[in-house]
Amino acid sequence: MQRIERQPAFVLHERPYRETSALVEVLTRDHGRVGLVAKGLRSARPRFGRGVVVPLQALEIDWQSRGELGLLTGADPVGAPIPLSGPGLLSALYLNELLVRLLPRHDPHPELAARYATCLGELCTADASAQAWALRRFERDLLGSLGVAPSFEHDAGGRAIEPDRRYRIAAEAGAIAVGLDDDRGTTIAGRSLLALGAETQPDRDCLRELKRLFRELVTHQLGGRGLQAWAVAASARSRTADTDAS
Amino acid sequence: MSNVGSPLLAQLIDALRVLPGVGGKSAQRMAFHLLERDRDGARRLAQKLVDAVDRIGHCRDCRALSESELCAICASPQRDRGQLCIVESPVDQLAIEQATGYRGLYFVLLGRLSPLDGIGPAELGLDRLAARLGEGGIHEVIIATNPTVEGEATAHLVAQIAKETGTRVSRIAHGVPIGGELEFVDRGTLAHAFGGRLVL
Repeated sequence: MQRIERQPAFVLHERPYRETSALVEVLTRDHGRVGLVAKGLRSARPRFGRGVVVPLQALEIDWQSRGELGLLTGADPVGAPIPLSGPGLLSALYLNELLVRLLPRHDPHPELAARYATCLGELCTADASAQAWALRRFERDLLGSLGVAPSFEHDAGGRAIEPDRRYRIAAEAGAIAVGLDDDRGTTIAGRSLLALGAETQPDRDCLRELKRLFRELVTHQLGGRGLQAWAVAASARSRTADTDAS
Repeated sequence: MSNVGSPLLAQLIDALRVLPGVGGKSAQRMAFHLLERDRDGARRLAQKLVDAVDRIGHCRDCRALSESELCAICASPQRDRGQLCIVESPVDQLAIEQATGYRGLYFVLLGRLSPLDGIGPAELGLDRLAARLGEGGIHEVIIATNPTVEGEATAHLVAQIAKETGTRVSRIAHGVPIGGELEFVDRGTLAHAFGGRLVL
């Protein structure tokens, strides 16, 4: 049995377990994604306090690890919960689903945990394009951490990506340049790929292309299945024109 | 499960454990009580369970539990048909019914948005809600989903649907519990209460 103390973490998901307990998935700094049993979390007087072990609240947690699931033994909030609302909130649920589905348990990526916290902060804006850009960079870094991101600077043949050419992405091989008359499947502009390497927000056309690119890459990683959050986003988008974040 | 001598008794004890808060020991006590002291009560319970499970469905309009096509609230001529309160579960509906003087109608989502559990707009009946608002006649939608992350996300989707149909939308307030002390109120609630302060 291993005891871990005062580990920075965010709750990704909570699911009822037995009468008053819950199974929580947390993203921790040094231990990656961890599944924990939180006893008494759903009682009338929740253990660790009301509204503490919830998504979007930076925590410091203690747990005992035994096999696959650990036992949550302590949780303290660090600062106030991240004040997300509306589309930002839906985007945060998307990030959580992405992490639970793509990141295996017990695979530590300290830099990714830090990026997650930064990204949640960046979603606290009313600007839909800025939200989309925050999500794209997180997707880039998540796939990068998992070692499954194609190069966004060089094509499959090792040549530098040119901003004015169009490319087709083959998930394993990386970008393959396509000719102008070749419109099989979906393609993406070189400048959209290059925008991922620069830290400045590209225009809306690029963002739209990048969103489609990452959907394809994520779907490929999930073996062809999509995310439920996409259905939610599609439903929200059909009602308002401007929700193109997740 | 210890050997109780009668396979039927063992099965009864096992069946009683579906109830929340009932473990092996309580199930055993219940089973012995029903068989030794109250067989009539047991028969009544069994009959009511079958009746309820067979006949209680969901109201056509609000999705609350109901044995008729329309529940008593939706069918009542005394309710205000211009107000629609959105709740996550029938228990929440009951809580509002008991605690407030609300006289409008309800729409029960039977859940809340949770992508990781496979619960999206379709599972919450949002299409049906949109159709209902589209019919007109409702001038205010009161969103009473829980103040959790999923509840707030659900509220956002419902608000979008209502705004699309031009219906006025309100959200129940979050605040400090009556008789509570600020010192003991959690940060999130206090932050909400402070942000949503009222002009006097």
